[in-house]
Amino acid sequence: MRDSNRAIHIQNLTKHYGEIQALNDVSFEVKRGDFFAFLGPNGAGKTTTINALTGLSNFQTGQVKVFGYNVMTEYVQSRRLVGLCAQEFNFDPFLTIHELLVYQAGYFGILPKEASKRADDLLARFQLTDKHNVKHRSLSGGMKKKLLLCRALIHEPEILILDEPTAGCDLELKYLIWDYLLQLNKEGKTIFLTTHYMEEAEKLCKTIGIINHGRIVRIGEKRDVLRDKSLEAVFLEVTGSE
Amino acid sequence: MVVNPVGVLTLSKREIYRFITMAGQTIFPPLISSFLFMYIFGVAVGSRIDFSGTGLTYLGFIIPGLMTMHLISSSYENTTSSLFIARWHNHIQEILLAPLSYFEMVLGLLAGGVARGMLVCSGVYAVAVLFAPLSMHNIFLLLYFAVTISVIFACAGMMAALWAEDFGMLSVWNIYFIIPLVLMGGVFHPIGMLPQFIQKASHFNPMFYLVNGVRYSVIGASDASILACMGVSLVMAVAFFFLTVYLFKIGYKLRT
Repeated sequence: MRDSNRAIHIQNLTKHYGEIQALNDVSFEVKRGDFFAFLGPNGAGKTTTINALTGLSNFQTGQVKVFGYNVMTEYVQSRRLVGLCAQEFNFDPFLTIHELLVYQAGYFGILPKEASKRADDLLARFQLTDKHNVKHRSLSGGMKKKLLLCRALIHEPEILILDEPTAGCDLELKYLIWDYLLQLNKEGKTIFLTTHYMEEAEKLCKTIGIINHGRIVRIGEKRDVLRDKSLEAVFLEVTGSE
Repeated sequence: MVVNPVGVLTLSKREIYRFITMAGQTIFPPLISSFLFMYIFGVAVGSRIDFSGTGLTYLGFIIPGLMTMHLISSSYENTTSSLFIARWHNHIQEILLAPLSYFEMVLGLLAGGVARGMLVCSGVYAVAVLFAPLSMHNIFLLLYFAVTISVIFACAGMMAALWAEDFGMLSVWNIYFIIPLVLMGGVFHPIGMLPQFIQKASHFNPMFYLVNGVRYSVIGASDASILACMGVSLVMAVAFFFLTVYLFKIGYKLRT
């Protein structure tokens, strides 16, 4: 059943790959309309959590819900509400970037005319209109990042999950993405962001969660997590990093 | 069962579009090889084979076998390559993140294999017309066999694509199981030409029923009961389809 207030609800999530414990009894919530930063060192469990949220990963115990829909048993409903901007460039090599967006919209049940209009609008928003008919291989790294975002947004999801969206981007693109994300959040979209850039999380997010060795080590509203410290200082303190 | 028809049609369209845009690799090679098979085995060698007791020519006998052989290989290769490349590039995530049930995902991916298999099968029949005037005993029966056989091998192709870890593993099933069983199923020979023991063993080869089902549909003659052929192809198609759906459901090599 739909739960309009809790965009994400993760309860006692445990995941291991053979002997390696990737997530250990992880529980947290993200409220509707929140801008949530999910931080942690490499290998802490950020991407595994995202994969569990989007149904790309099985898990041993626990429950993951998106607006009240269980991602394992009610996956059709939960997937309709989520847009994922992945870390890697995983595009269909046979399609042009416009086709790629139109097909992606089609998988979400959007008819071709509407899908084409949305694709045109998104490509224009991210200054990719002149690349309309090219395949993703001929795009620069920054353009591919924009295309990942376009693909995640084509079905107008209620939750946008971003896995290091600005990694490797130049300043201009970084600011373009930041502005757009803030605008989307202002319009009511829930945003779940993982990043290694502390200033990005500090600038954009309202709530912060930090994961280390598969466990949540700090979570709360930004002001409660920071308490007059910088996010970098808090991060180093709770993860024990040097 | 289908709650997202636009999603399924979109996926089907993408699968069909993919093989159409690469017709030089997907459509024409089996037609060229069929032409050569018909010319060499049907015309050059076949004219010296005594088939007078059957009321058929040897060329007329092998044409349905060639249609079946290419129907099988085209539907298998289509889903194998499409799904394996999607796993390799990880753009399979585009589908896995979509609000499609696992039944719908398999249905959409299947469409490319079925369409390519049927297109190539029709093409082989058209090539055959260049060599001899052909009959069509029962087109509805042919359609039945073309659909069930292409479903079986499009699903087998998906299972192989999920199982394979590299490009080399993709062809293992085709080389060691499918091609030998199809050839032993009677593409080029009537069962009566074989030793008694192999004749009996052939009845345990499912391809024997598939080849003979298509043969009966085209020329009205078969080494097996047509009801047995229809039953075997239907049971296999349903079983392979739901086994593939099950593999998607458990996320076999799709989810970490």
